[in-house]
Amino acid sequence: MVKRVAIVGYAQSHHQYDMQKTREDMVFEVAKEALDNAGISRKDIDTVVTASTDFLDGRTISNVFLSMAVGAYMKDESKVEEDGASAALYALMRILSGSHEIALVEAHTQASTFNPHQVSFYTLDPLFDRQIGLLNSVSAAALQARMYMDANDVSEEHLAMVSVKNLMNAADNPNAHRRMPDLSVEEVLDSKLYYDPIRELTMSPISDGACALVLASEERAREITDFPVWIEGVGTCHDAYLRDRNLLRLDSLRKAAEDAYKMAGITDPFSELDVIEVSERFAHEELMIYEALGLCREGKGKVFIDKWVTQRDGELPVNPSGGALAADPVCATGLIRMVEAAKQIRGEADGHQIPGAYRALAHGQFGICAQKNIVYILGGE
Amino acid sequence: MEKQSEIIRVTGLPVAAGYNWSAGSQMEGFIKALAKKKIMGAKCSKCGYTYVPPRSRCGKCNAKIEDKDLVEISGKGSLVGYTTARVELDGAGNFQDLKKPKMIGAIKLEGSDSTIFMPIEGIDPKKAKEGMKVKVQWREKAKGELADIVCFKPEKS
Repeated sequence: MVKRVAIVGYAQSHHQYDMQKTREDMVFEVAKEALDNAGISRKDIDTVVTASTDFLDGRTISNVFLSMAVGAYMKDESKVEEDGASAALYALMRILSGSHEIALVEAHTQASTFNPHQVSFYTLDPLFDRQIGLLNSVSAAALQARMYMDANDVSEEHLAMVSVKNLMNAADNPNAHRRMPDLSVEEVLDSKLYYDPIRELTMSPISDGACALVLASEERAREITDFPVWIEGVGTCHDAYLRDRNLLRLDSLRKAAEDAYKMAGITDPFSELDVIEVSERFAHEELMIYEALGLCREGKGKVFIDKWVTQRDGELPVNPSGGALAADPVCATGLIRMVEAAKQIRGEADGHQIPGAYRALAHGQFGICAQKNIVYILGGE
Repeated sequence: MEKQSEIIRVTGLPVAAGYNWSAGSQMEGFIKALAKKKIMGAKCSKCGYTYVPPRSRCGKCNAKIEDKDLVEISGKGSLVGYTTARVELDGAGNFQDLKKPKMIGAIKLEGSDSTIFMPIEGIDPKKAKEGMKVKVQWREKAKGELADIVCFKPEKS
């Protein structure tokens, strides 16, 4: 990138099933905490970009009400109707354009208020798939999981091992929703079956949560902090509607990752990355993500799980925070990955810190079976 | 610990919104053809990709698909994926347990590049395999509506 932009502050909520808070309070708290974390005040913010989905919020054009809670009163403001990681991309572009120096990015969902899987049903083609009435984010993921497992000789135990890794990691992350230090593969395989092979513990939980981060131009970042986390690369890509997509692969993630690697000058992601945070809404997705990120060959994702490569003390830790399986406040989930990656680089991940993490990848997704993907490469000084 | 204030729960959304979408002429052709127990697809005249159900724009090559590009698709195809549903959404956001599990198939019809996701009957989930041949089961008296397609069954049955 010609100009450089850094993450200079961040905050996230304690994600849980039912926050017992109004959305306004939840949003205000993360926005304020992110500014405090950066050591700046509301007047320093030039532009605010938020992310949520009206259908999940239960309000039309929901930023109308929340703009004051997030601190956007009388400021340049815009909203993205998908993951917060995409809101961060717009904020990044606002700064790169030269019009703004400091941006606040905020994303949230209170999924406990209305089942996000029901909302996923309303993203389907109303003229056909909705009339047939069988698909939603979970049943579609189950179809994809079975296809992927049959094609690549992946067992239900492999999926369970992904859940065990992530939910045990989450036990040391105070912000995670599903923290399960003693989880076993058997327990995952005994959890409630929704759509074969997807079970309660191989799909993400329904979480309330919010996340915010502050982005600044290089000049301002150096004034604000001694520990800026630089955005070294970003890539995003959108695949076809479910019916016209190869569900065996995450092609749009592959393209997004390639673009991000190119921008960051990465040629061998496996050896050049220290830690990875991904938005795996289902356990099988994490295996597919390994492949799409170019960390291993097509169909070989399970080897990383078999050989403990992506464990917290493995060669390339993936989701030391617990990932989306540990907390999934839908629109905030990808932005949380960016915050978790930034925490790793700043050495602020406490109980789930990866020693010596210098360069990290953060991934966000949106749409049934990860139709759209976004990848960031973040790095320290 | 700080006492949590009791939040009064307010319900009311989603509203029952009766959207009145236009199906478009391709989709209209698809639905009308069901009355004759025919499945139609839209074959892009530029790249040849065939959409089932039809679409009026080819996302792959960005060409417009005309009404003349509607082609008849076989009612036979193969299973490319499957799942057994133990639950279903009730429309209000609740997963309800099914008394009898339902099988859902991802099916690629002969002559189609799209995959459709349809109910499957007559296959033991334990014996389901990718590549199994299936065929459409029509409602006895087809009326020209999506319900004319009852399900897909194994080709040999």
